[in-house]
Amino acid sequence: MTPEEHQLFEQKIYAYVGREVFSSQPAPDRINEAMIRHWAEAMGDKNPAYQDAEWAEQSMRGRLIGPPAMMYCWNQEGITAATKRSSDALTDMCDLFDQHGYSGVLGTNVKQEYFKEAGMGDQVFVDMIIDTISEQKATARGIGYFFESLATFSDQHGEKIGTQRFRVLKFIPAEGANSTVSSDEEALETPTRIASPRGHDNGWWWEAADEGRMLIQRCTACQTLRHPPRPMCGECQSMDWDSIESTMQGEVLSFTEIHHPKVPGYPSPLICAVIKMDEGTNFVSNLRGCEARDASIGMRVSGVMEQVDDKTMLPQFYPATQEA
Amino acid sequence: MTDFKTIRIDEVSVGDALAALDIEVTTALVVGGAIATRDYEPVHHNKAAAQAAGLPDVFMNILTSQALMTRFATDWSGPEASVRSIDLQLGAPNLPGMVMTVTGEITAVDSKTGIVDIAINGENNIWGMHMHGTVQLKLPGED
Amino acid sequence: MVANVKDKAVIVGIGNTEFSKNSGVSELSLAVQAIKVALDDAGLKPSDIDGMATFTMDTNDEIEVARALGVGELSFFGRSHYGGGAATGTLHQATMAVATGMAETVVCFRALNGRSGHRFSGGVAGAITTADAIHWGWYTPFGLMTPASWVGMFTQRWMHITGVTKDALYEVAKTTRDYGANNPAAFFYGQTFDRTEYDAQRSICDPLQLFDCCQESDGGSAVIVTTPERARDLAQPGVAIRGVAQCAAKDQEQMTSFYREEFAGIPEMEFAATDVYAMSGMQAGDIDAAVIYDAFSPIVLWQLEAWGFCGFGESGDFVLDGALRPDGRLPCNTHGGQLSEAYIHGVNGIVEATKLVRGTSVNQPAKQIDHALVTSGVGIPTGGAILGKL
Repeated sequence: MTPEEHQLFEQKIYAYVGREVFSSQPAPDRINEAMIRHWAEAMGDKNPAYQDAEWAEQSMRGRLIGPPAMMYCWNQEGITAATKRSSDALTDMCDLFDQHGYSGVLGTNVKQEYFKEAGMGDQVFVDMIIDTISEQKATARGIGYFFESLATFSDQHGEKIGTQRFRVLKFIPAEGANSTVSSDEEALETPTRIASPRGHDNGWWWEAADEGRMLIQRCTACQTLRHPPRPMCGECQSMDWDSIESTMQGEVLSFTEIHHPKVPGYPSPLICAVIKMDEGTNFVSNLRGCEARDASIGMRVSGVMEQVDDKTMLPQFYPATQEA
Repeated sequence: MTDFKTIRIDEVSVGDALAALDIEVTTALVVGGAIATRDYEPVHHNKAAAQAAGLPDVFMNILTSQALMTRFATDWSGPEASVRSIDLQLGAPNLPGMVMTVTGEITAVDSKTGIVDIAINGENNIWGMHMHGTVQLKLPGED
Repeated sequence: MVANVKDKAVIVGIGNTEFSKNSGVSELSLAVQAIKVALDDAGLKPSDIDGMATFTMDTNDEIEVARALGVGELSFFGRSHYGGGAATGTLHQATMAVATGMAETVVCFRALNGRSGHRFSGGVAGAITTADAIHWGWYTPFGLMTPASWVGMFTQRWMHITGVTKDALYEVAKTTRDYGANNPAAFFYGQTFDRTEYDAQRSICDPLQLFDCCQESDGGSAVIVTTPERARDLAQPGVAIRGVAQCAAKDQEQMTSFYREEFAGIPEMEFAATDVYAMSGMQAGDIDAAVIYDAFSPIVLWQLEAWGFCGFGESGDFVLDGALRPDGRLPCNTHGGQLSEAYIHGVNGIVEATKLVRGTSVNQPAKQIDHALVTSGVGIPTGGAILGKL
């Protein structure tokens, strides 16, 4: 779209704010045990308040109720929605989004409040409007707009059952979305920690780690230890080096709990720490076996080489008292 | 008839954790959940449509997530509790093959009205946070 | 040896694009828009530019910018490395070029789709094929891979050693937001907050919470630098560069200088401050206002110490005395900073520091501003500059 076309598109979209979608639209089926059983089975919900008439009889309510979470289901369109939804303000607005490339759809938030527990035989009526449409946003799924519908549900006596605010993202699917999918196996392989690339100067260290040893590089000319590894000694400029195996004992110099973002393949909670090894070099690792509130700068830690996932062997450090 | 116990308001304190629940996300759950909530959006039952939207497979619809969150709360409370509200935000999609771990913690207790707020998280083992939100229940036994 | 550059290069034009979360245009478009605004401000034409300075991280090729903008010949183009550490690095490059005659008029710029494009908060993981990858490889397997995580690690130790508390972090975030709330160009225009709201935000990496972290923004900023002779003929009062430095200190690592004897500090910025003060013949006491790089709230505190506004560990008390506020000792980040205006990698900060000296900031302090400090990002090789009236 040119900027002018986009402006025109936005004018059309925003004209839907406040539009009525449904007015006292009755659900085609009254609240009934068959559809509830189907729903409860799918969800694994064994709540007897929905299905066990004998239990319900002697309960505080004295009757069965429909699952509150089903409130909106009674009025959902059904199978025609898979091909061509019936025309209403919401469908027409979504069509307009689709025509302009915003074909992706994702429910992002739903908020329901319940005022009355509807029971078997009650009929649900819905009133709905399009309440808000956001400005254009960049989201993880793609560029798009959030819209919110606001619905009120009533029974056949006109009594309010509840309300619902539903937030949906209409977005332009990322380019090449199809082609990025190679196979199910690949897409759903359990993620592992992001490994370090291995080059001339560091590969040997990671290979030793794979074998369960934490090494520290040592200059063979002046015996100075150094970490991270480098090709030359900064003290004496010698390029000759070997390594020693760390005792993996040390002291915490600092730590931080990583709350955000959560990255697939990493545990939660996750604490990272700078540890002063007894050998004298500092090392960044994870602090395990305690919560952040129990960690402190200066605490003694003891490390082990650990297989943290299918592919990764890493030094991991624990409060020293636990090890002893 | 099985005997079901419902937790009373005086048994609950802020900070109480709910026992975690692992839910295996299968194609049957994704598709069955979508149809049981009468949501026929193609992305929830048609893999090609889901792939066109940028995901490798069909993914769980929000009304199933909502149902699972509510179920988690009432599994804990017992059947005499009334659900007052649910406020749910979705994160990463739930796809077949994943396992979603649902956890919860009591964040508010009002012994006068019997109302408790439960903060609930559902994290899947592949992409992390799938849903988080609050379910509000009214428990029996108020003052 | 002290560099002989004092007042030999002058800022004569400044420009920002609109700041947003989704510019909808290319980074090249943002760059040339910002530069055009700066040229118009100076009363110069694109063909007057003969030099360019930007970040190694900037995706805009100099010759692409030149062709898009209609610049003719270029006799100088230089880039500074290390992300936000390059903010005043661009001024450093421009000053050297102008003072030596390598170029007469240099534009410093930075343009990025920092929210709709690559986001720094996503961390350094991913398909990285540069030499940096080996460096980041010491951290990614452990999950320490975002700017907030590295700064959190430094902050935790620095607070432990100095006893500075979150009250000081809040004061930085709060004063910055109050300035931003009064700046129509700022993301947080019209939106201030209080301690309750600050405390209620989610944790990012301890001890940093959401409002301790900067924006991620789309936008561009540009600054035109030329000779004092040329500057006197132009539209705006010139703002001279009294001193500018770009420094790395011993055992510097990119965001992870955890291997120093003591890592609760930023010796590279102390080095830059010493350098700039020597060049300009000035001291902290001569500086009236500042734009201090604020990717995160605590880094403002460390820089106050590095530039000698207070001693090590004293920045908490310094800011809690109200020093950063409009009527304080050192009004700071008066545009709302990167915490509240926009994150344009510190170049919007050079624009603001120039405005402070011109007397045209949207939050211009009541007192006379003869000299303003502007700094670059920390945890990396970095620098700063002192600006004053021509």
